[in-house]
Amino acid sequence: MTPHTSRKSPVREMSLVPPLFLQTIEDTALSTWLRESESPFAFYFVLLFHTFGLALLVGANVIVDLRLLGIARAIPLAPMQRLFRIMWVGFAINALSGVLLVIAYPTKSLTNPDFYVKLTIIGLAIWVMYKLRTNVFADATLSESEMTARGAKLAKWSLLLWFAAITAGRLLAYTYKYLTYPS
Amino acid sequence: MNFVHLHLLLNHFPILGTVIGVGLLLVSLLGKNQDLRRASLIIFPAMALMAIVTFFSGTGAQGAIQKAPGVSDALITRHQGAAMLALLFMEITGAISLIALWKSRAAPRPPRWDWSMSAVLLFSLLTAALMARVGTTGGDIRHPEIRTGHEEVAESSTFGKIVHRFEPSPDKFAELMTASKWWWAFMMDMHFVGLVLLIGSVGILDLRMLGFAKQFPIEPLHRLVPFAMFGFGLNLITGILAFTGMSAFYTYDWAFWMKMLAILLLGVNVAAFYLTDAFESVATLGPGQDAPPLAKFIAATSLILWFAVITLGRYIQPYSDTITVHK
Repeated sequence: MTPHTSRKSPVREMSLVPPLFLQTIEDTALSTWLRESESPFAFYFVLLFHTFGLALLVGANVIVDLRLLGIARAIPLAPMQRLFRIMWVGFAINALSGVLLVIAYPTKSLTNPDFYVKLTIIGLAIWVMYKLRTNVFADATLSESEMTARGAKLAKWSLLLWFAAITAGRLLAYTYKYLTYPS
Repeated sequence: MNFVHLHLLLNHFPILGTVIGVGLLLVSLLGKNQDLRRASLIIFPAMALMAIVTFFSGTGAQGAIQKAPGVSDALITRHQGAAMLALLFMEITGAISLIALWKSRAAPRPPRWDWSMSAVLLFSLLTAALMARVGTTGGDIRHPEIRTGHEEVAESSTFGKIVHRFEPSPDKFAELMTASKWWWAFMMDMHFVGLVLLIGSVGILDLRMLGFAKQFPIEPLHRLVPFAMFGFGLNLITGILAFTGMSAFYTYDWAFWMKMLAILLLGVNVAAFYLTDAFESVATLGPGQDAPPLAKFIAATSLILWFAVITLGRYIQPYSDTITVHK
C-alpha cells in the first residue's frame, strides 16, 4: 500500500477483516456439526423449519390482511383473532431456527448487509402485526366495518412488509460475501 | 422402470387425455349435455398436471438414449421445442377450465356459455393439435419408418412448418433462465410468495374442516380457494421455468420426483373432495358444526401432503445426484 503516490484514497487496497468472534462461533461443535454433517437433520432440517415457520406466520397473516382489504367478505372478522396464535407459533419457530442458522453460518449472515435489512423489515412487520392485534381485534365491541376501517391501512403495510421480508430472506443466498470465515 | 419407460408411459396422458377431453366437450355441445361438459372441464386440468410430469421425464429419457446409434440430437431438440409449446397451451387450457368450473358452482343451473367456455374450447383444440405434433416429433426420434421427409428435421407438413416458428429453442431457453442469478432469485422469491398464499388459504380451510376454529362457517372460507390456486399457479410457472433452466439437476434428484408424486396425489385429493359428497357435506356447515369423517380425512391428507411438498422441495438441493443411471 503506497500512501499519497496517487490521487486515489490510500485505503483503496484495504478490506475489512470480519471480527474474530465469528470464527469462534464457527469453530464450536454445534456450528461445525450443522454445517458439515451429512445427516439430513443438520442444516437443511433447520432451514426446513424456517420454511414451516414462514408458512404459518406469513400464511396466516396474509389471510387476515386480505380479509381486512375486503377479500372474501363473508368470512366473519372477529374469529380471525385465533389466527394470531398460529402467527406467534410460526414466529417462535423462525426465531429459534433463525438463531441456529446464524450459528451455522455466522460470517455469512452477520457480514451481509441484506441480513440486517431482513431483520429490520421483520421487526416492522411484527410491529404491524402487534398493532393489528391490539387496535383491530382486541376490542370485542367493534363492528366489522369499524374493524375494517382501523385495519385496512395496517393490512396493506403488512402485506408489503412480509413480501419485502421474504425477498430479503431469499436474496441472502445470492448476496453473501463470505460463506465461512476467511482463512 | 427407467426414465425412458416412465416417459413413454406418461406421454399417453397429455396426448390422448386431451383428445378425449376435446371429444367430450364437442359432444357435450352437440347434445347440450352438462355432465359431459363438466367431465371435460375436469379432464383438462388433470391432463395439465400429467403433462408437467411427462415433460419433466423427457430429460431423463433424453439422457438415456442420446448416445445410442441412430439417435439424432436435432430430432430430440425439435421434439423438446414442440413439447414446450404444447405444455404452455396445455397449462393455459387447464387454468381456464378451472376458472370455468369455479364459475359454474355459483352459477344457475344449467351454467351458461360464456367467455371462459369459449376460451376452453379454443385452447383445448389448439392444445390437442400441438400435442399431436409433440407425439409425432417424439415418434420420429426412434421410428424412421414414420418420417416422411428425407432430411431428418425437414418439416413435411404445412402445419409443422407454421407451428415450428413458434416452438422455442430448448437450449436458448435454458440459457435464458440461468443467465442472471437475480432472475433466478426472483423466480425462487415468487415460489415462496405462492407457497405462502397456498398454505394460508388451504390451511385455514383444512384446519376448520378438522374441527379447529369452529367459529368460522365453512363456505366463506372456501371462497379463498381461488387465492390458493393463484399461489399454486405462481409455483407451477416458476417451477417449470426453473426445471427448464436446470433440467439435469432436477432430473437426477430423488427429492424432486417425490415432490412431483406428492403434487399428483394432491390432485387426486382435490378430485376426491369435489367428486365425492365431501364438498357438499361441508359447504353448508355453520359456526360450531362438525365436518363428516370423509371431509376430515381429505383435509388431513391435504395438510400432510402440502407439508411434504415443502419438505421435499427444501431437500432438493442436498439430494441432487441421488439418482444414478447405469448404462
